[in-house]
Amino acid sequence: MVDLRRFLIRRLITFIPTLIGATLLVYFVAAVVPGNPAKLWAGGEKASAEVVQRIIEEYKLDEPWYVQYYYFMKMLLTGKAISPVTHTNVWAEVLDRFKTVTLPLTMLSFMFIILIGIPLGIISAIKKDTVVDMILRIFALTGISMPIFWLAYLLIAALTGKGLVTLAGFPMPAYSITGIPLIDGLLKGDFEYLSQLLKRLWLPSLLLSYAGIGVLVRLVRNSFLDAYSSDFVEFMLARGFPRRRIYIHVLRNALAPIVTVLGLQFGGLLAGAVITETIFGLPGMGSYMIRAINNFDYLSLMAGVLYVAIIFMVVNLVVDILYAIIDPRVRY
Amino acid sequence: MKANRCRNPIIVVDDLYVNFYTYAGVVKAIDGVSFCIERGETYCLVGETGCGKSVTSRALTRLILPPGKIERGRILYYPEPGKVVDIMKLSEEELRMIRGDEITYIFQDPGTALDPLYTIGYQISETMLVHGYINKIRKGVSRAIQLLKETLIPDPEQRIKSYPHELSGGMKQRAVIATSLANRPRLIIADEPTTALDATVQAQIMELLRNLKKKRGLTILLITHNMGLVAEMCDRVGVMYAGQLVEEAPTEELFRNPLHPYTRALLRAVPNPLRRIEKLESIPGTVPNLIYPPAGCRFHPRCAHVMDTCKRQKPELTRIGNKHYVSCWLYSRR
Repeated sequence: MVDLRRFLIRRLITFIPTLIGATLLVYFVAAVVPGNPAKLWAGGEKASAEVVQRIIEEYKLDEPWYVQYYYFMKMLLTGKAISPVTHTNVWAEVLDRFKTVTLPLTMLSFMFIILIGIPLGIISAIKKDTVVDMILRIFALTGISMPIFWLAYLLIAALTGKGLVTLAGFPMPAYSITGIPLIDGLLKGDFEYLSQLLKRLWLPSLLLSYAGIGVLVRLVRNSFLDAYSSDFVEFMLARGFPRRRIYIHVLRNALAPIVTVLGLQFGGLLAGAVITETIFGLPGMGSYMIRAINNFDYLSLMAGVLYVAIIFMVVNLVVDILYAIIDPRVRY
Repeated sequence: MKANRCRNPIIVVDDLYVNFYTYAGVVKAIDGVSFCIERGETYCLVGETGCGKSVTSRALTRLILPPGKIERGRILYYPEPGKVVDIMKLSEEELRMIRGDEITYIFQDPGTALDPLYTIGYQISETMLVHGYINKIRKGVSRAIQLLKETLIPDPEQRIKSYPHELSGGMKQRAVIATSLANRPRLIIADEPTTALDATVQAQIMELLRNLKKKRGLTILLITHNMGLVAEMCDRVGVMYAGQLVEEAPTEELFRNPLHPYTRALLRAVPNPLRRIEKLESIPGTVPNLIYPPAGCRFHPRCAHVMDTCKRQKPELTRIGNKHYVSCWLYSRR
């Protein structure tokens, strides 16, 4: 336990330079892009010089880069960052999009990835080199290589008329417990609302997960087969273990790379799904970032990048802790 | 049945053929092997790497994984005198119930035989669980401790909580032996159990097997290429070459009076415990490719006494002396 605490503290300290690096990088890339953000923020070509001047002063755009960066970070870290474009608090918007769209979308997609990807990968491995395996491998490869927008429009066309999918608006419950609609609906047992929400989200989640499922099927298949060729499997057969029991041992031995990739996929989903959000008109983190980029909205962009960086660092930390739970040979 | 040379056999193998279907071609790994193991004895199979010792031993419970396949042959298992089980006719499930219960294996490399992610105690208990002797892993703990005691592992109460990587090679092999004793073994098949261990540990493990055999009344099939071990451990020896059993004799008889040219060459190539040799010799030529094995006697291309018949016809295993059998045209009275 002491080891775990020392490990956590050590890792948390490494978070700080990583965050500074990520935001600094984004700040530079954004600041280097030619254009006059103050004018843009003030309303474009027709903006009055007075307003432009006020914005320059307010956001310290005439100061050297390190002052500006420091000032931006201070605003972000004290939670007082007001976007010059939307005139709202950037964190409030990130939190709102995270809670209503990105988190439910991520949870559903991740559920699909795990519930479909892992079993299909195992079946593919057990039925290696049979017709079943071949079909599953084609299915997986399709998921990895098919453009999501193509399949999305195909399915939308096929399904909308049947009342299985809704595309417009975003249903919000009348109550708020955690602020996350999916969880609130579950907590209340409000199935009418949940069915509305699922109608809105199941198709984008499934499509969003398809590429992840493809990756996972292939990965699970290969690491399962890899673990299956270990000597201990033959020794289990020699000890008269039933197949099912052997598969459990093999799966646990195959789990380390699977958990790594699942962690990255989970982080990727939380970082937002630009294409899926655009196709289905969902206001999530992906469209937030795109809007920030298009509007030269450095502050919103830096908030988004901070958010994504923190997500990935936490996910990787969790994955590292999971390694030690899976494999007793791993020590912190 | 020609194979039954035993009075009270525990296992009889008759005319066994095993092939491996590889991309390069069909490997005829076992070619008409017949032998039997007397209840309570230690029977040794010796031969070079790749001669089919391990495959033969695994075939005893049909533990041949694809692309391998038992082509034909009979394998009879006698759990008790007078009671016979035809291994070739058993279902997968019936075989599973014999493997690890009545017929158990000890593999060559204890470092890879155990699952690295589970404790020793868990894996010993699991061996009992899958045969229905306990219904929960936890209930196997006390028996697992007792088994570790029996295999002379120090501090067994602590060791059952250890993971394989926390034990030395010798300790791991003792834990493997403990799993093979977990149920009610009658025949233990030890497939080069000490090859991966150093010499002192090797002696300890063999001593342990000898004592366990005496105490529990076991039968042991020992597979080895170490002639020293053969001399030390075995009652009878079968010599294999390229998938065929070329000679079989009681241990002392084999060392004193080897008949088959291969056995003779083999004994000249290792220090003989019974007589002094000036110089260790090697056997000319190489082990044949078993995809295209030599016709007739598979040893004929390397044999100093090769005759015309050897190239055309496979010699039968013939009785020469008391319990001494050889398959070689030099000795066949035809």
